[in-house]
Amino acid sequence: MTAAPPLLQVQGLSVRYGSVLALDGLDLEVHAGELVALLGSNGAGKSTTLRAISRLVPASAGGLFWGGRPLLPLRTEQTVKLGISHCPEGRRVLARQTVAVNLELGAWLRHDRAGVNDDLERCYSLFPRLAERRRQLAGNLSGGEQQMLAIARSLMARPTLLLLDEPSLGLAPRLVEEVMGTLADLHRNGQTLLLVEQNAEAALAIADRGLVLEAGRVVLRGSAAELRQNSGLRASYLGG
Amino acid sequence: MDTLLQILVNGISVGAVYALFALGYTLVFSVLGVINFAHGALFTLGAYLTYLGVGGAVGSNGALAGWALPLALPFPVALLLAGAGCALANLLVEAIAFRPLRRRGAEPLLYLITSLGAGVVLVNLLQIAFGAEGYALPADALGDLPPVLSLAGARIRSVQLLLLLVCAVVMAVLTVWLERSRGGRALQAVSEDAVTARLLGIDSDAMVRLSFALSGLLAGLSGGLVGLSVSIAGPYFGIVYGLKGLGVLVLGGLGSVPGALLGGLVVGLAEAAVPGDLSGLKDAVAFAFLFAILLLRPQGLLGRPPISKV
Repeated sequence: MTAAPPLLQVQGLSVRYGSVLALDGLDLEVHAGELVALLGSNGAGKSTTLRAISRLVPASAGGLFWGGRPLLPLRTEQTVKLGISHCPEGRRVLARQTVAVNLELGAWLRHDRAGVNDDLERCYSLFPRLAERRRQLAGNLSGGEQQMLAIARSLMARPTLLLLDEPSLGLAPRLVEEVMGTLADLHRNGQTLLLVEQNAEAALAIADRGLVLEAGRVVLRGSAAELRQNSGLRASYLGG
Repeated sequence: MDTLLQILVNGISVGAVYALFALGYTLVFSVLGVINFAHGALFTLGAYLTYLGVGGAVGSNGALAGWALPLALPFPVALLLAGAGCALANLLVEAIAFRPLRRRGAEPLLYLITSLGAGVVLVNLLQIAFGAEGYALPADALGDLPPVLSLAGARIRSVQLLLLLVCAVVMAVLTVWLERSRGGRALQAVSEDAVTARLLGIDSDAMVRLSFALSGLLAGLSGGLVGLSVSIAGPYFGIVYGLKGLGVLVLGGLGSVPGALLGGLVVGLAEAAVPGDLSGLKDAVAFAFLFAILLLRPQGLLGRPPISKV
């Protein structure tokens, strides 16, 4: 593919929860500017992969590298500083804070006030509904609006790599389309994304490449076009 | 017979100290979801440090018998230094009694034992150093301020007004800081969802330490103020306040800042309404009030149902 070294390199990564091996020797590379989709059913190890990259769970084996630099010794806050922004499963907006405060906290590690203000306006133009509700408590937003807020909040860190965990979960089809459209726009503008999704069809429609996880192992990998044509994947994830 | 104004001022000023003290519990509880049972001991430490700061000498029973600072600081300076000392002491309590358990992801119940242990050790150290006797801050600690003011026919101790003033200022500053500042919002973010806060780059360990330092500061300030107002009854006098502070916390609603304020005022006024010749019943009245309110509102006056975290 590209000659440049990968932005993120995952080598033989395993994660163990007690006696359960949630992730079993995962190899994965994400290059600058790519949108990579990590697919699979519930419990396949997709979220665990993201949680290991952002150092929320310890790795039991393997290596994680950011531009060649080992990530495993770092704490979560330090990965954010390096440019990894993890938009967690279930949105997890700060329900007791306003939309505006949620976004400001997304820029917690930044000290360029002017740049932060520019990015706030950029988020509001990307998600006009957040602009209308900027003074409302995040807990009072609808599910779709909370998902948009969670994505916008992750963008406020100006991440080099955006990790997204199931952004389509629990959203109506029209909203899934809207969220995926936004991700495609971000990708077109050069944002690197690692997208975890159960909705393989929606994810492969916008991704460059994809991996399919099953019980903690990669069972299939290839370009999005190849995966869309793959009969096995069609049977299990794309509804025939 | 006390006038109504007198009762009100007494009640509100005592209540303000309870509120200040309970706010310290609240800060740690809202961030970690556990109670720091060493809080009462820090209150005691604050009172002793203030006593030393204004130039008080250690009595004959302590290991430090006869020792005093070479200089007598003005009360406000001594109080602030005592608060800072308690902030440092509470950081030590966090490092010894909380952090090792947090690293292991221990049961919340275990913090109860370790923090209670840290409190007992602290109280015993104070007893070794100062002896078990009581201490009173010198009457001239407030300089030229007249001890009693006459206001609309009521005789009001100037100490009460000072208590009220200091508590009001500290609580106002703290509330504005929590609601408006970057650091305050980050602290609230950790308190609502520590994992998400970390994903935003907020160093939650630093925020935990900050909450312990602030909480220690509040315990120290309230200890120094009560020491000035009613004297220090001995190393164990923080225990009663520790329990009452817990009562205030539960009454107001766990983890709620305005709840701690309201709870403090309710308990303070309930106590002040007890006539002087029945003063032995003050605590009974305060706790009876607490029971009555909790029967009607188990979540506390301003408690909110917990937000479920998905």
